Amino acid sequence: MKKFSNLIYAVLPVLGVGALIGVWTILSLQEGTLIPTPVETWERFLVIMTDPISKATLPVHVLVSLKRVLSAFGFAIVLGIITGVLFGWYPRVKALLSPIFELLRPIPPIAWIPLLILMFGIGEVPKILLVFIGAFIPIVMNTQSGIESIDPMLIKAGQSFGCNHRQLLFHVALPASTPAILAGIKMALSSGWMCVVAAEMIAAKQGVGFLIVRGQEAGDTALIVSCMLVIGVVSFLLSAILTKLEGVLCPWQFKKTK
Amino acid sequence: MISKKEKRIRLLLSIAGLVIFFGVWEMAVQMGFISSRILSPPSKVVSAFIQKLTDTKPEGATLITHFLMSFKLALSAFLAAVIIGVPLGLFMGQYKAFDRFLTPIFEIIRPIPPIAWIPIVILVAGIGMSGKVFIIFVAAFVPCVINSYLGIKLTSPVLVNVARTFGASDWQIFTKVCIPSSLNMVFTGVRNALGASWSTLVAAEMLASTGGLGYMIQMGRQLIRPDIILVGMLTIGCTGALLSWLLGLLEKKVAPWRYR
Amino acid sequence: MAVQKNKISMKNISKTFTTRTGDVSVLKDVSINVFENEFLVILGPGQCGKTVLMNILAGLEQPTGGEVVFADGTPKMGDLGIVFQKYYIYPWKNVMQNVELSQEVKGVDKKTRRESAQKYIDLVGLSGFEKSIPRELSGGMKQRVGIARAYATESDIMIMDEPFGALDAQTRYQMQEEILKIWEKKKRTVIFVTSNLEEAIYLGDRIILLGGSPTSVKAEYIPDMPRPRNYTSKEFLDLRNEIADNTDLAL
Repeated sequence: MKKFSNLIYAVLPVLGVGALIGVWTILSLQEGTLIPTPVETWERFLVIMTDPISKATLPVHVLVSLKRVLSAFGFAIVLGIITGVLFGWYPRVKALLSPIFELLRPIPPIAWIPLLILMFGIGEVPKILLVFIGAFIPIVMNTQSGIESIDPMLIKAGQSFGCNHRQLLFHVALPASTPAILAGIKMALSSGWMCVVAAEMIAAKQGVGFLIVRGQEAGDTALIVSCMLVIGVVSFLLSAILTKLEGVLCPWQFKKTK
Repeated sequence: MISKKEKRIRLLLSIAGLVIFFGVWEMAVQMGFISSRILSPPSKVVSAFIQKLTDTKPEGATLITHFLMSFKLALSAFLAAVIIGVPLGLFMGQYKAFDRFLTPIFEIIRPIPPIAWIPIVILVAGIGMSGKVFIIFVAAFVPCVINSYLGIKLTSPVLVNVARTFGASDWQIFTKVCIPSSLNMVFTGVRNALGASWSTLVAAEMLASTGGLGYMIQMGRQLIRPDIILVGMLTIGCTGALLSWLLGLLEKKVAPWRYR
Repeated sequence: MAVQKNKISMKNISKTFTTRTGDVSVLKDVSINVFENEFLVILGPGQCGKTVLMNILAGLEQPTGGEVVFADGTPKMGDLGIVFQKYYIYPWKNVMQNVELSQEVKGVDKKTRRESAQKYIDLVGLSGFEKSIPRELSGGMKQRVGIARAYATESDIMIMDEPFGALDAQTRYQMQEEILKIWEKKKRTVIFVTSNLEEAIYLGDRIILLGGSPTSVKAEYIPDMPRPRNYTSKEFLDLRNEIADNTDLAL
């Protein structure tokens, strides 16, 4: 009996994925629907891997998008952590600047697109700025709350050993909030990836977001669905890389197997 | 302990920060450092806001009409996602069969950003109500399910065992121990879902719509009316903040044990 | 007994906290003298404000009344060695980095501070664990790091705030023996706070009993027994009963 239920549990995930593909196939086989079949999607995927659209193959489009994300991301991490530390560690700086931040924070990054395009045109700058906005906010918030939620006795212990305010920051506050900062960076990366897709969907000549809109304009639904899956896979890989990085940067958070 | 004097200093700093922010913004445009074609000064945004409450020009509807259109759309899709997603996530966390069957499906759908659904949905369902409701539903559904699932999974096994020693049945353990202990996680999920649905709505309206706040800011760009864009952005931001605040109040009522 | 030099005088220390529901007086007129190189135990029930008193002594909190006078001048932060109840060793630093911290922030060069830290790591019996991070250590070992770290401040005053409170009973007995050995090897003035009566009698040259609400000094005891003391000897049990009869129940 036990063995039988174990077998069922082993088969269920396969059934789940099977059901997803099954439902997709049934929907795509309906008369008059535009939904592509899984096979059509796969074939379209193979074609765009080698045949360029708008002078670029799929891998190139992905790289273009990734480059936009990563170039904004560097700024977002550095400035985000600095801002978060200033807010979390220096109450007067927080008093001065955080109301402005709180005012702008609830605006979804996507809603910045029209203003950014108006101000900077449709080149690289507005896209990178958009990704920056999308990534900056979660990093600031997590850094700040990471620093503010440190066990006060950890700080007192540091004081009792003679740390001054700045030494406390580097020996105690920053390392203690590293896990929170990394969680913020993880959120920032998925938010940044979404922003780049959005920006490219609204105005771009290359990138995965552009590709998906091109599919819409051409009624090429197989192209759209392959792009959706590619976007999903990239997003998954990015977060997997960061999870690995977490283990390297905060070994004290995770059990070491001896 | 913060002294009263320090509190007063901080309050003054906060006010000073905002005054400087708006002051610099106003001056930068008024004195021509930034062209008024690409950015409107705060004073102009305020007057545009008041005017837009009743004026349908230039893109065809008043701010209130746009707002109500967006709000109804987002709220109905969001509520549907919560009503279906939260119980589903809870069951997935509690019952292994649900978990094994559904989790892989979620792992496949989850990494796809909701806005990437927009083009296919537009093609299949058109730019009407139903397509957008579906997209927003997807955006809100995923965080609802995932956080409810995690909430159950993170229930302390000790709490479960205590209930078991009292002779509680599996169903009683699920409803009386696991669900209450996961409520805070559920609320986190619902709050994320709210943010996601609101921001996805804006994206959907920017890409395919004839009304709504997203449409309004998109038209503001095409008509080169930065004041309209800013009014739209502020309305979007304020509504988002307000909804999230209301949700926080609700959480304090329903699951007060996190706040002591 | 030789004339004892006064090391620290706590004079009429009072502490009142302002809360939403009004002022709460925690300590009232606590006066304690600490002699040089003695092992002084401060004994009091849980939640009686012992930690507040230690924080005042350490300069981490200010008293609302009274003063602390140090015979050798008021120490700066980092001039006292403090051992905390829940260790509060830094999980992201390895044993060596934790122990050398107090010297590092004073700007002592790496070689000197490592040598001195090594000396104290050896003293508490952690040789070979210098590179281990705290989560790889047991509770007793973590508190050894805490003790080494306090010793490494090179302070001649050690404040230990219920250092063994979080340890299991067996480890606790071991650490009690250990702390006496360390103290006998390197004599310093120790102020040891505990809520455990047996621990107090086992360790102390003198025992100050706190009690009442607000907390003040109730009595002073001198366990006149040679070390190592025997938990089951008659003198030990007599003193235990005497103090127990005079102790408030924990709040």
